[in-house]
Amino acid sequence: MRIIARFEKTESVRFVSHLDIQRLFQRAFRRAQIPLAYSQGFNPHPILSFATALSVGYTSEAEWLDVKLASDMDKDDFARRVNGTLPEGFRIIEVFSVDERFPSLSAIMAAADYTLQVFDPPADLAPRIETLLSAPIMVEKRTKGGMRTVDIRPMLYDYRYSNGFMRILGCLDAKGSLNIDLFMGALLKQDASAASYRVHRNRIFSNDGVLMPKMPERLS
Amino acid sequence: MNSACLDALLSQVEKPARYTGGELNSIIKEDAFVKVALCFPDVYEIGMSHLGTRILYNVMNACEDALCERVYAPWPDMENALKQAGEPLFSLETKRPIASFDIVAFSLLYEMCYTNIFTVLELSGIPFYAKDRRESDPLVICGGPCACNPEPIAPFMDVVLLGDGEEMNPELLRVFAACKRNGCDKRDTLLALSKIEGVYIPSFYAPQYAENGDFIRLQSVEPQAPDRILRRVVRDLDAAPYIGKPIVPYLSIVHDRIAVELFRGCTRGCRFCQAGFIYRPVRERKRETLMQQAKDMVACTGYDEISLLSLSSGDYSDLHALVPEILDEFAPQRVSVSLPSLRIDSLLKNDLERMQAVRKAGLTLAPEAGTQRLRDVINKGVTEEDLIRSVTDAFEAGWNGVKLYFMIGLPTETEEDLLGIADLARKVSQAFYSIPKDRREKGLRLSVSASSFVPKPWTPFQWEPQDTKESIIKKQQFLRNALKGIRGVEFAYHAPNISVLEAVVARGDRRIADVLLQAYRNGARFDSWDEHFKLKAWEDAFAAYDIDPAYYANRRRDTEEPLPWDHIDMLVSKAYLKRERENAYAATVTRDCRKGCNGCMGERYADYCKI
Repeated sequence: MRIIARFEKTESVRFVSHLDIQRLFQRAFRRAQIPLAYSQGFNPHPILSFATALSVGYTSEAEWLDVKLASDMDKDDFARRVNGTLPEGFRIIEVFSVDERFPSLSAIMAAADYTLQVFDPPADLAPRIETLLSAPIMVEKRTKGGMRTVDIRPMLYDYRYSNGFMRILGCLDAKGSLNIDLFMGALLKQDASAASYRVHRNRIFSNDGVLMPKMPERLS
Repeated sequence: MNSACLDALLSQVEKPARYTGGELNSIIKEDAFVKVALCFPDVYEIGMSHLGTRILYNVMNACEDALCERVYAPWPDMENALKQAGEPLFSLETKRPIASFDIVAFSLLYEMCYTNIFTVLELSGIPFYAKDRRESDPLVICGGPCACNPEPIAPFMDVVLLGDGEEMNPELLRVFAACKRNGCDKRDTLLALSKIEGVYIPSFYAPQYAENGDFIRLQSVEPQAPDRILRRVVRDLDAAPYIGKPIVPYLSIVHDRIAVELFRGCTRGCRFCQAGFIYRPVRERKRETLMQQAKDMVACTGYDEISLLSLSSGDYSDLHALVPEILDEFAPQRVSVSLPSLRIDSLLKNDLERMQAVRKAGLTLAPEAGTQRLRDVINKGVTEEDLIRSVTDAFEAGWNGVKLYFMIGLPTETEEDLLGIADLARKVSQAFYSIPKDRREKGLRLSVSASSFVPKPWTPFQWEPQDTKESIIKKQQFLRNALKGIRGVEFAYHAPNISVLEAVVARGDRRIADVLLQAYRNGARFDSWDEHFKLKAWEDAFAAYDIDPAYYANRRRDTEEPLPWDHIDMLVSKAYLKRERENAYAATVTRDCRKGCNGCMGERYADYCKI
């Protein structure tokens, strides 16, 4: 049996890294006595994957996991049992039971919607965003082959800004994603530090609206 | 600390989860009459791996009017962030400033963590020296194995706890609470605490030195202070409290697994090993107790690995029943079992294969010395035959990674002993490659690790000189050459700077205290971490106080010479240590005390030992 679940990561655990979350869910499943299926081979491990990693320090109500069970169980019972043992700050919000042939989460995701709170925003931030978006946004990006200059403008689909709060609709698919920190670095320049804004992921969208909501043309 | 401030700090550091707390099973009490900050003076990942502080955390939080919260040494990035923000260091559980606790308790596991104690005190606005602290400052206390010679840190401590804390710490909290309730001042509180078995109050004693600088004695300056302080011992370990529900960290820590403590103490009597002498006598937990603890802990943590812990787990008297039982119990849940400090014998061979079937773990063996003669000197009762049989068994069971631990600079060591290390490595390598290819793994990974011997108090080698730095380096190079060309071998060794300092601090007197603080002021932090170790900070500190490290590290002490830890009674008698020293020189092996009493405590504490 295969289960896909959406969970939240809130304030108190926002510094827990992606790697730590994988371990954390494995332990929570074990405490909840979920019958996990294991991979074959020399070093069997639970068949558990996540749609995408969330940057350390962000909060989210749109984290997605995909786990294979060794035997069938009621999906709501799954959620109840896991939520009964997850550490405070994590909670499963919705669960789906899907077919073995259902594509992977990373294959169906297309975009994500974020809310940013900018602390002490400069008075001219709104026009600064407009200016920034009117041309390619060239940023230094660390890749496997070293530092590379890339244009992240095409990955930002839409935004809203008012009073220190920004919404961003950005690309998030198997090929790439809008890196919010790089965008904010380009926007705030020397004013940018990890403490100058907070990021919350509201939703991950898919192209076809199956499981995840369908990606909108623009932010509402 | 308010959350905006905390946020700003956390956003500046490499691993914020070291400071956020909130882990599963951590204990949060809003308030209590007596508040204890339990501090492990190293980084979170190390400190959280330490069983002893976890026991104390559970034991002290179980005390009704007390709460106990954790503190670890802040990594330099956090130290700087706190200093820049002008914020005090805080506890993990409730983010209370450390100075607001009644008691700040340090676990002393390693001498090279001492400078981190100063980081914690300074960031908390607590004066370093006990004599400079005000009535309103917390009581600063310490315990742990390094407290068996507390003198180098004695001037910074109000109270030193010697021995097991399961019973002593709650008693300390009870007495402290009574004093606090009665409005006692610090001196009266210390007097009351000094009546507890295992409690040492450094300020009740003053050291005397001869004109040539030699230590003479520690003189009592408080009429009611006892002459000797007896180490506290938990007689019935099986009934003693353990770690309760283990905290499950978010971060990956060094020992990220469940540990059950099979027994405390060790019967082997390896003559270099401090733990082998200061935790005597051996006290075991029953198999049923261990099984229950393991089940409870797996259920409340979700860990998938259990470690059977002790100083020499292969010696556990019920091991042959415990291992299959615990494997059978947890195999369906895919929880693996590991047995550190392993002595393999043939009876265990089948279980070994099963241990691997669940999860593969490396095999670590510690012959410690390269020749039988030197192994007899240090009383490491392991023969070449044992070792080769053990590794052959392991290789045939599918292992291909072996670590061999050795020490260089042991008393009476010669070139031949160093060549013996290479010889042993060669034989292990041959043992692997002589197994037909289809019955073993492909390649051997044989790690030969050589650490430098550090003479420690409370061992038969406590009077021995340590090799000089130059001599250690020469021997390392000699050994490296001797190991060349052996198939599958990798040689691991370390610059001896840290070992030399360790030797000074381990056998130091109160004059070393000033040096420790000066080294800290010169920038010494996390000295056991290569990336942070600053030799110059230490050299300058020794120079500032005109102290020659060689006087402490490289001098052969006379067995009649007064020792800075003579006022401590760790149960094992000095006469026994002297006798063992003679046996070492004669390369005479002393039997494992499970095979018969060797009289290490003399007549005094015969009833302590149930073997």
